Order: sequence, then C-alpha cells, then structure tokens
Amino acid sequence: MEQPALPEHQPERCAEDAFAALDRARELGARGLAHLLGWQLARTALRLTASGFMAWLFGHLIMGQDFVPWLVVAIAVAAAGAALVGLMADRAQALAEAEVSTRLRDAAITKLQTMPARLLQALSAGGVTVGLQRHPEAVASLVIGHRAASRMMAIGPLMAAAVLAIVSWQAALLVLVLTPVMILFFALVGQIIRSRADAQEQAFSHLAGQFADRIRTLPTILANDALAEEEAKLASRLDAYVGKTMSVLRIAFLNAGLIDFFASLSIAMLAVFLGLGHLKLATIPGFSNLELWQSLFILMIAPDYFAPFRRFSEQYHAKAEGLAAAAALDRLLGTDHAPAPRLPAVEWALAELSLPDHGLVVVSGPSGTGKSTLLRRLAGLESGSTPSPSTMPQPCIWIAPDSFVGGSTLAEAITEGLEAPDAIRLHEAAASIGLLDDALLPGGLSARIIDGGTNLSGGQRLRVALARALVSSRAVIADEPTAKLDPATAEAVRRALLDMARNRLVIVASHDPALIALADRGIALSAASCLETAA
Amino acid sequence: MTDIATTRSATARKFWRYAGTFALTALLCGVLLGGLSAWFLGSVALAGLTAAAYSFNFHVPAAFVRLFAVGRTAARYGERLTGHHAALTDQTTHRVALFEAMAAAPAVRNAGWQLADQARLADYLDDVEDLDFARLRADLPAALLAAGLIGASIATAFIAPIALAPIAALLIVLAAMAQRLGRTGAGHWMQARGLRREGAQRFGAAMASAVPLQAERQWADHCAEALGRFSQADEAERTLRLAQSGLDALATLLGPVAAIGVFAAAWYGGARSEALLIPAFLAFSWIALAEAAQGASRMVVATLCRRAAKAEIDRWTATATQAAAASQSPARLQALQSSALQRRTPDGRPLGSLLALALQAGRPTILTGASGAGKTSLLKQIAGWTGQDVMESETGPLSAADRRAAATFCPHDAAILADTVRANLFAPSRSDEQLWQALEAVELAGRIDGAGGLDGWITQDILSLGEAQRLNLARAWLSTKPLILLDEPTEHLRADQGLRILTRLIDRLRDRIVVMSSHGVSALPGTVTLRL
Repeated sequence: MEQPALPEHQPERCAEDAFAALDRARELGARGLAHLLGWQLARTALRLTASGFMAWLFGHLIMGQDFVPWLVVAIAVAAAGAALVGLMADRAQALAEAEVSTRLRDAAITKLQTMPARLLQALSAGGVTVGLQRHPEAVASLVIGHRAASRMMAIGPLMAAAVLAIVSWQAALLVLVLTPVMILFFALVGQIIRSRADAQEQAFSHLAGQFADRIRTLPTILANDALAEEEAKLASRLDAYVGKTMSVLRIAFLNAGLIDFFASLSIAMLAVFLGLGHLKLATIPGFSNLELWQSLFILMIAPDYFAPFRRFSEQYHAKAEGLAAAAALDRLLGTDHAPAPRLPAVEWALAELSLPDHGLVVVSGPSGTGKSTLLRRLAGLESGSTPSPSTMPQPCIWIAPDSFVGGSTLAEAITEGLEAPDAIRLHEAAASIGLLDDALLPGGLSARIIDGGTNLSGGQRLRVALARALVSSRAVIADEPTAKLDPATAEAVRRALLDMARNRLVIVASHDPALIALADRGIALSAASCLETAA
Repeated sequence: MTDIATTRSATARKFWRYAGTFALTALLCGVLLGGLSAWFLGSVALAGLTAAAYSFNFHVPAAFVRLFAVGRTAARYGERLTGHHAALTDQTTHRVALFEAMAAAPAVRNAGWQLADQARLADYLDDVEDLDFARLRADLPAALLAAGLIGASIATAFIAPIALAPIAALLIVLAAMAQRLGRTGAGHWMQARGLRREGAQRFGAAMASAVPLQAERQWADHCAEALGRFSQADEAERTLRLAQSGLDALATLLGPVAAIGVFAAAWYGGARSEALLIPAFLAFSWIALAEAAQGASRMVVATLCRRAAKAEIDRWTATATQAAAASQSPARLQALQSSALQRRTPDGRPLGSLLALALQAGRPTILTGASGAGKTSLLKQIAGWTGQDVMESETGPLSAADRRAAATFCPHDAAILADTVRANLFAPSRSDEQLWQALEAVELAGRIDGAGGLDGWITQDILSLGEAQRLNLARAWLSTKPLILLDEPTEHLRADQGLRILTRLIDRLRDRIVVMSSHGVSALPGTVTLRL
C-alpha cells in the first residue's frame, strides 16, 4: 500500500531562523560596552592619579618638606573625579545591560509573535515564561558586565604597571613577573574545580533540585500521606547536598584566595624591599635611593594592579549563567526542533475542499487524523504543502475549551476586542448558552473573571467564546464544542452554531453525532478513506 | 525539633562564629597591613637619613607586614568557606521548616496548586534564596563594616580628633543615602516584582489560548503586552541600580576623605616628620577599611530583597492551619455517609442543593457530570481537604481531619517526584514483589523495568502523561487506607486500557470505600453512579 506522495516542504527549517542569542546580544551591546569601557578606563586612571598624589603629599609631609597646597587640590579633584566617573561607569553598565536585555527580549517577542501555533503548543508555557523573564538579563550581564571585566583585566593591570614604572620600572617588572605565576596557578585550580564540579554534577545532580521538587509536588505528597517521610528525606538530602557543595567550594574559593595571596604578597615583598632600600641595608636596583613618596606611591598603586583580577574572578558565575541562558533561549526560540507531522488526510481534504460563504461545515474523524491541524490550516495559522483553496474570512472567532478569556467581568470577556454590541444583543447571547444562570459563575454579566479566566472551567471558556461569536459577525471555527458539556448546554451550543451558520461560515471539528447530523457539509477525515481516494 | 535538627542549628551557630571571627581577622589584618606598611616605610625613610639606620629594628615590623599579608589571605579564605557553610546549613534548617509550613498552608489543598507552575515556582525559589543568603550578603558584611568604622573612629578620636568632623559628615550623608536607597529601592523592587508576576500570569494565560488568539489575530498583541511587562520590570530594576550607583560612588570617597582628614588634622595640630608616622598609620588604615564600604549598596539591596521575599513567603504560610493533633483514623471503614452535605465551589461558595451521600465499601461510587459540575470539589470535600464537614461512619463521626488521615486521594494532576520509583509509590511497608504486582496491574512494569527498576530515578519529564497517571493509580493500588478517592482515573489513558486497569483496581480495592470522578467510565459492574 502506498502513502500519497507529499513533497518534503518544511518552510520553518532554515538557518536564518536560529535565534543566536549570544551574537545578537553582542551586537546590541557593542556600543554600550564601549561606553562602559571608556568610563572604567577613566575611573582607573583617576584612581591611580589620586593614589599617586596622596603618596606624594604624605611622603613630602613625613619627610619634613613643605606643605604643597596644590597637591591637596589635585587629590580632591582626582578623587572626586574618580567617584564621579565611577558613578558614570556604574550607570553606563546598568543602562547598557537593561538596553541589551530589553532589546533581546523584543527580538524574542517578535519571534514568538510570528511562531506558528503548532510550534507554540510544543513549548512549555512555564519554560518560556521563566526563560523570557530571566534569560535576557543573564545574557546582558554576560555581554556587558563580564566582558567589561575581562577587558579591564587585560588593560587595568597594564595601566597600573605603567604608572608604577614612572617611579621604578623594576617594581613594575616585579608585579608583571608575578602575573604569569598567578595565571599558572589559576589554570591549575580552574582545572581541579572543573573536574571536581563535573564529578559532583554527575554524582549529586539529583540532590540539587530536591527542595524545589518537593514544593512542586507537595499536594501529591499530602495526598499520599507521606509528609513526615518526605520531610525527613528532604532534610537528609539537603544535608548531603551541603556537604558536597562545600567540597566544591573549598576548591572554588582557592581562586579568590590566590588573588588575595598575590596581592598581599606583592605588598609585603615591596614593603620589605623598599624598607631595605631606605635603610641602605641592601642595594636592590629600582628599590634603593627612592624618596619616601616614591615608596608610598609603589605601595599604593600595587594593589590596583591586582584589583581587576579580583573583579573578574567575582564574575565567574555571570559567565556560566549567561552562556546557559543564551543556549536556553536558542533552544526555546529555535524552530527546527518540531518538524510538521505528515497528515495525508488533511492535505487530501484541503485539495478537495472549497468553502461556502455560509453554512455549517463539520469535520469529523478519529483522533490523530488531523482535525485540529485542518482547522488551523483553514484559519490560515499554518502553512503546508497544499495551499488552502479558499481561506476563511479573517479574523475569525475560535471556540474551544482553551479559548482566551480577557477582561475582569463576563461582559468585558465577551466583548473584548470586538466592536461594542448593544446591551440587548449581549444579554441575549450570554443568556442563550446559559452563561447568566451558571451557579459556578454568579453575578450575570458582571460576574468576576479572575486573572485571565483562571476561575473558569473549559466548558465555561468555550461558552464565553461562543457568546463572543454570537455578538460579532465573524466567521467561526469551533474545536469539539459539545464534548464535556451536559446535554442541555450541548443542545444550546448546537442551536447557537446552527443559528450563526445561517449567515456566515461556521466550521466545526466534532465527534458529536447530533452535531454531525446538522452539517450542511461534512468532511470525514480518516486514514483509510483518504488512501482509497488517493489510490 | 529532632536531634539532627538540633545538631544542625548548633553547627550553623558554630560556623557563624567562625565566619565572624575570620571576617574580623581578615579586616583587621587588611587594615593593619595598610597602616603598618606605610608607618614602616616612613620610619625607615626617616631612620635612613641618620645613623639610626644601622640600629633600626627592621625585622619586627617586616615580620608583622608578612604576618598580616598571609593572615589576611588565610582569614579571607576561612571567612568565605565558613560563611558559606553557615549559610548553607541555615538554608537546610530553613527549607525543612518552610516545607513543613507550606504543607500546612490551605492553598496546597485548594484547587490548582500554584507552585506546580514553573514560573511561579522559580519566583518562589528566588524568594527563598534571598532569605537564605541575606545574612551572608547583608548582615555579616554590615556588622563587620560597622565594627571597623567604630574602631577606626575611636583611634581617630585619640590621634587626630578634628578629622572626625569630615569623616562623620561623610558617614552621615552615606547613612542617609543608604536609608533613602532602602526606602525608594524597596518601591522599585516591589514594582519590578509585581510587573514580573503580572507578565508571567498574562503570558501564561495567552500561551494557554495561543491558537484561539491567533485565529482572532490577537496573539501578537497579547504576547507583546504580557512580555513587555518583563521589560518594564527590568526598567524598574535599572532605576534601582542607578540609585545604587550614587551610594557606591560616594562611598569611594571615604578612603581619601578620611586619610587626608587625618593627615591634615595632625599637620595643623603641629605634628611634623616623625610625629606624622602614627597619623600615617591611621590614614592608610582608613584607606584599607574604606575598601570594605565599597559594597554598601549591595548590602542595602540584599536587605530590601529579604524583606520583600519574607512578606511574600509569609503570605503562603500565614494562614497555615495548626497541624492537627494525631487524629483518630479507623483502619477499616464499611460505610461513610452524610444525610445533607452542602457541596461547595473551590472558593467556598455553596453549590447546589444538599446532597445525601451514602458510600459503602465494595460498592465504588462514580461521580459523573459536565465539566465544571463540581466533581473534583466533592472528592476533596469527602477527602477532608476542603470544608469542615463531619461525616458519619460505623465507627462514629469523622471530621475532615480524620478523613484526611483515613484517605488516599489521587488527584488527576498527580505529580511525579524526582526520586526513585520506589519512593514514588509511597508504600515503604510493601515488599518488592508487591510493588511489581502493582506496576503490572497498571501496565507499567515493562516501562519501569526499562527505566532502571524500582530503584531507577524518575522525574516528571521522563514519563508521559499516561505513564504518570498509571503510576498514580499504582499508588492507589498499594494504599492501605480505607478510603480511596480517584479523580479522573482514566484521563490520558486509551479507553480500553483505562477500563482494564480500573477494573483490576476496583477488584483489588473491594474491601475499601472507593469514590471516583469520571467522564467516560460508566460500564463498570457493581458500581453506583452519582450524577452531579
């Protein structure tokens, strides 16, 4: 037996549809990053200047030289300048990160707005919500904050070394020589951290989310009367997790410890060398015959050499989080993960079909033959290999248990986004399908709708959508409108659909024999009939 | 409080003490390192001018400089390690207590568990973490900074009292700014939180109706409108960060102002050359101390985040009912009835007329009715999850709490715990053989065998909806409770498979009282149907 031949045509699968969050964010952040780096460089320069002048002033005063008023002015200007420029740098960072985050989210929104329903339905709503809430921010702080810190790690120490070289190139050389040693240690420690963390991840990843998991599943735990056991288990697992986490942290904190060590060591070494030089107990080139202000200058500038390293090491988690967030956004918004299913019955039905401009068209057939897909194709929400012969008038009203319910009252929910109908028509529409005497929705047309209809059942949502259709004059698509309704309401729904079909097009997918019997035209989707006809 | 919990909090206290000691040591070493190095260089420079150079005791201060350098490094490492250990240990205590408190919150038993939603859960976890780490991020550094400032101020009062004027002025301005940041920042933070929650809720609603909205050509607007709130929230947070930067910028002035102030005060007090060495010590100590003030705005923000998080979490647990005293639950029940049960909607309003309910062991009751007729609500009422109804049994009246203890309730959206299959079956007293029997009965044995057997680790994501539902039915199969309530037991199952499993389950539970809600199943022999 042969399947009807369908051309392999999947318009969603092309390279330009990859979201590429990281590249996008880099591009968006380039200007902001440049500004930020500019301000940070200026801040470093001014800080170094202020420190240098302070060393000069204090050195002169201690050595009994005259007070130099302009030095105080210079220090004040440099320190205030550094504070002001620092303020600008912080602001530039906050603004740049917010900008990247917002524009990245805008790009993601554009992507979602044009995503076909089939792909949207494959996404987890919670996952997309969490992702679009947090991920853009994480990516932004990677491409702005982390990148700036890594650039500053390259430039900042060199600036400090250059300033040191003004008084003693040998001292500058000393701190420069310490750096490769420090980096070597970094690499070693980094290696250990990674291997430890990997081992940890494999062995104990299941412990990490236990609290979240038990909060999520709390009703189930209560339903099975297992609270006491689960609480004890949670406590012991959290304890175990603390132990394992600490064994990783012991290594991870070595990184910060190393920077502290080298910064402290350099100060101690410089102080001792410089002290020996002043006492003329040893003649170390570059450390002897210095004025006090020069020694103090070296002592004050040297820590600034190490500061950028520390700032960078504080950012290590920003990198991991940002990369993970970018990858997660790509995964969420990349559209190549859900190829369109091949539904021969749908293609065949579309090829045969011509839609009347009014009347009740009922699509029937067993589950899985593509009734919903056919409805989406007819509504123009998806494209496929066979073009729809005559598309529905747009936009239409979609009636289903998952119809959208907006507004804060029933009246608002029915009229939202429609031309305001007159009060009588609205009242009649709501009354005709039992929305006004529903015990679970008291208050008639002013019944309260909470947070997008979380207080409504699927049946109620469906009837609200039906009322919307009744007060508008748009074409109607209904997906299983009578399933899960009590017989009286189901009859009212059938009547309403038939009533609307008198002057507009109503397309319904249904299992309901009573509804199928009312159809002006029936489309029976079934794999078998489709193959017969195609043969 | 159990022994383990007592040990745990003792451990936490011990680690907080260590962390405090290490932090203080690190700060002291850092401050002294800065001061001593400057004093030392000044001393040797002055000594180097004269013959005193040869008698100058060079080794003692040099040794102290090295000691402070090494001490600062070691103490910082110790501070980080013990601080995190203390915070993590507290976190365990706190989370276990929170788990217990959440279990007592009425919201858990009401309709729709909100924290089953990924977005709500993520927000909740952020709050819990803000609470867990506030002590490490805010309290410890703030206490340390305060101690350092007090110490340095006292030293300044002795050495260069006039310098206290500019220092105090700056500190007062900083404190006022911090307070203002705390106040306005809390507003921005609440605004950001509110917008994020609203955005998540609206987007969730739009996603659930994506197809109908697309058909009405409204999807794009709803999507942008909901998600735009996240960007508005980012803007509110940006405003907070901008406010932070002002405080931080001013805090960088503390070092230079204090150092220059001390030096100037000493100079105008007549101190020259050697007499300036002690002020130099103090001035450089201030510079080192001021480093600790750099993170001032972060401490303020951590504090205001904690406050917001606490308010939010208290909202869940504030209405918690006291854990009921061990209720009398009969091991066996033959009949359970209520002559006039007032059914209620999930939000507590009366629903329909009074219902005469007579449930019997061996005669399963099937609740039918249209979507929204209140089947689940009635099951929860019978289970004692909602309402305060008292029902009659042959052993006497049973309150809601009694029925809770006597019932296994299988909600239709029962969750899978991230744990072993064995743990997920909630039947610690049953043998492996019995567990496998249960899995056979719900036609899940093969799947579980493939996933690693009873001790294989499963999560919600790796089971399909149908598999999760069948595992849920296995829990009912293994239950020893006399009252079994099944909400839509055949949902997500193929009709024939659902009927097979349900027939076996009812046979197995023939000595219990069984009530189930269902749309489809009515052709079960020996059952009573109750139409709502």
